[in-house]
Amino acid sequence: MSFKEFREKDLGRITKTVLISLITSFVVFGIVYFFKLRYIDGLLPKFGFYIFFAILSYALIMPTLKKVRGYESLPCMSGMMIGMTVGMMAGFLPGFFVGATNGMFWGSIWGMLVGMTFGILSGKCCGIMGVMEGMMAGFMGGLMGAMTALMMFNDNLRASGVVIFIIGAIIMTGLNFLIYKETKSFERKTEIEELFTIVVSFILTTLTIWLSVFGPRSALLA
Amino acid sequence: MKSSSLYLIGIVFVIVVFGVMMLKGESYQNNSNPTGEYREVILGIKDFNYYPNAINADVGETVRIKLDSSVTGCFRSLTIRDFKINKYLKTSKDYVEFTPSKAGTYGFSCSMGMGTGVIIVK
Repeated sequence: MSFKEFREKDLGRITKTVLISLITSFVVFGIVYFFKLRYIDGLLPKFGFYIFFAILSYALIMPTLKKVRGYESLPCMSGMMIGMTVGMMAGFLPGFFVGATNGMFWGSIWGMLVGMTFGILSGKCCGIMGVMEGMMAGFMGGLMGAMTALMMFNDNLRASGVVIFIIGAIIMTGLNFLIYKETKSFERKTEIEELFTIVVSFILTTLTIWLSVFGPRSALLA
Repeated sequence: MKSSSLYLIGIVFVIVVFGVMMLKGESYQNNSNPTGEYREVILGIKDFNYYPNAINADVGETVRIKLDSSVTGCFRSLTIRDFKINKYLKTSKDYVEFTPSKAGTYGFSCSMGMGTGVIIVK
């Protein structure tokens, strides 16, 4: 089995979910911007970059979550790897981008919340081991993301955000390949609809916009 | 054309369109000091933070911040992100200077965010 086979058979499904997530998130942002955010002075120069990359991060994680939720009994090792990678990425990226606008406390709270939730949901495909691994990775990723943002605050914060996102994209591509390989001999119990992608993207984007623009922030970013 | 290629084109299109809209440059609010006059503020340390940690200034007024000898460690690396200032003030004579062009509250901190304060511009 090669990467070429994965590209031919599974890439269509992944790109479709990414596109739906992106459209949902940008439509939400567009609506909120039109009715509320455009009246806020200097909003896009201050928060636009971080909200944009947070939206891209959610779109990056959605295909994996959607795919593994359809399985119930994957091997333990695969489930742990999936739970850990999704938990870490879903914690680190939102933690970093919210940490850059709201400070370490709210960045880590948001990162841990998203990371642990996604980690648990994706780790469930192999039982309690995957759930525990996802939960722990989400906890660690959320804290690390916000902490990295704070430590980069006086350095190249935006450039590091781009680098971290690209690395996240490479890792998630590798994970999708792993999932494709590991699930080939397993039957899907349930087919998850694209409505799941739309609902989750809507909730995450709405909360991220609210948190970044109107949410509480540390004294450093007052 | 395969469906995955169409989706990829769609993704690139959405990212480019919204990227252009959302990724605008950072505002820059530090003006020059044409008159040579300035308000000098000397910060010390009290309760493990800068003291005073609230500085008042007027729009268009040049503010010069110095750190006295009680300020040590990473606290000597003063950062005011909104004015693009990040300078290590080695001695009590070193200073940072800026002229705010807009009213508002601007945060300042040491390089690691351990000590914090605000500059209130009216």
